[in-house]
Amino acid sequence: MSRLTNWLDERIGIRGIRETLLDRKIPKGVGWPYVLGSVSLFLFTLQVVTGILLAMNYSPSPEHAHSSVSYMMQKIPMGSVVRGLHHWGASFMVVAVTLHLLRTFFYGAYKYPRELTWITGIFIWLLVLGFGFTGYLLPWDQKAYWATMVGANIASQAPFLGPAIAKVLRGGEALGAVTLTRFYAFHVLLLPALTALLIGFHLFLVVRIGISAPPEKEDKNKP
Amino acid sequence: MEKNNPPPSLPDTDSRRNFLKQGIFIMGGLITAGIGVPAVTYFLAPLWQKEEEDWTEVGTVAELPVGEPFKIDFVQRKRDGWMTVEGRSSAWAVTVDGEQFTVFDPRCTHLGCPYRWDAEKKKFLCPCHNAVFSVTGEVLAGPPPRPLDRFPVKVAGGKLFIKPAQKKGEG
Repeated sequence: MSRLTNWLDERIGIRGIRETLLDRKIPKGVGWPYVLGSVSLFLFTLQVVTGILLAMNYSPSPEHAHSSVSYMMQKIPMGSVVRGLHHWGASFMVVAVTLHLLRTFFYGAYKYPRELTWITGIFIWLLVLGFGFTGYLLPWDQKAYWATMVGANIASQAPFLGPAIAKVLRGGEALGAVTLTRFYAFHVLLLPALTALLIGFHLFLVVRIGISAPPEKEDKNKP
Repeated sequence: MEKNNPPPSLPDTDSRRNFLKQGIFIMGGLITAGIGVPAVTYFLAPLWQKEEEDWTEVGTVAELPVGEPFKIDFVQRKRDGWMTVEGRSSAWAVTVDGEQFTVFDPRCTHLGCPYRWDAEKKKFLCPCHNAVFSVTGEVLAGPPPRPLDRFPVKVAGGKLFIKPAQKKGEG
């Protein structure tokens, strides 16, 4: 093991990288609220792994979507486990990322010099909601269909641009085959690419700037 | 940044650090295994899934010719993932007594060409590379590596059923 580490260290300086990434200085007083970012990252990885596996058995067409899902649930060994992980991981991800956001907000950790970390984080949070919205349609059951119908109609309520936004989302006037393929493309290609980029930048900033100390009560004795 | 390593004069701190380190590795290993085992099982599913062909009815025994091989055409229902597809398929069958049937895969065992029964020569002939099979499917001439493949056959309620299974490793 250490021979491999030496080999890598000689070439790419792996010890320095490991030190920078893992042996970071952590401010005093950090505790459980600070794990939410790592939890979110873990859940994202879980969603990527299980999502890739699900895509191997999924067919995004109105004719096949539902039956391909039930085929994977009933006929593929561990199919229901993998889909269950993705299903629950999705809900947990929304919760974890939201709590992470609230923690950052209430601890005031978005302030100078971490504004960019905060802004990228907000966009990641929006992307996660986008994942939830697009992924919800893919099983192509009644709940999926009507939830997307409601979502698209909400979008169409926006002034001026609303109808156009809804039309672009649906890929047409009515919810149908094109909506499914579009949502699938958003869910497995567009959103993952954007999210991976933003998470990379977000993590770079976390390592670069470090994490903020928990807020303290103001010391009245200070001059 | 200065290093976080504790000075060597504090063995207690060192063992605590090692304990936590091991704990992290063990928990990480358990989580990885908990996700990895289902993931690998799912990914390798094609290896342990059995493709069970259903019996396909191909004719009424009383109406089938005795002695001479005959071609049977039938509609085969196949499972293709989550779909059931119907396809026209055929096979060559022969019976000597009207009770015991032999049904041959209609593809030559050489390279999969469709052969035919030559009623005058009393042999199966394949047009692609001049393979010749006897009425029992034995290779009489030509390049085929083995006798004609046979489908499982059963007679039930006066009907002839076959299981048109594909040989392993063939398309």
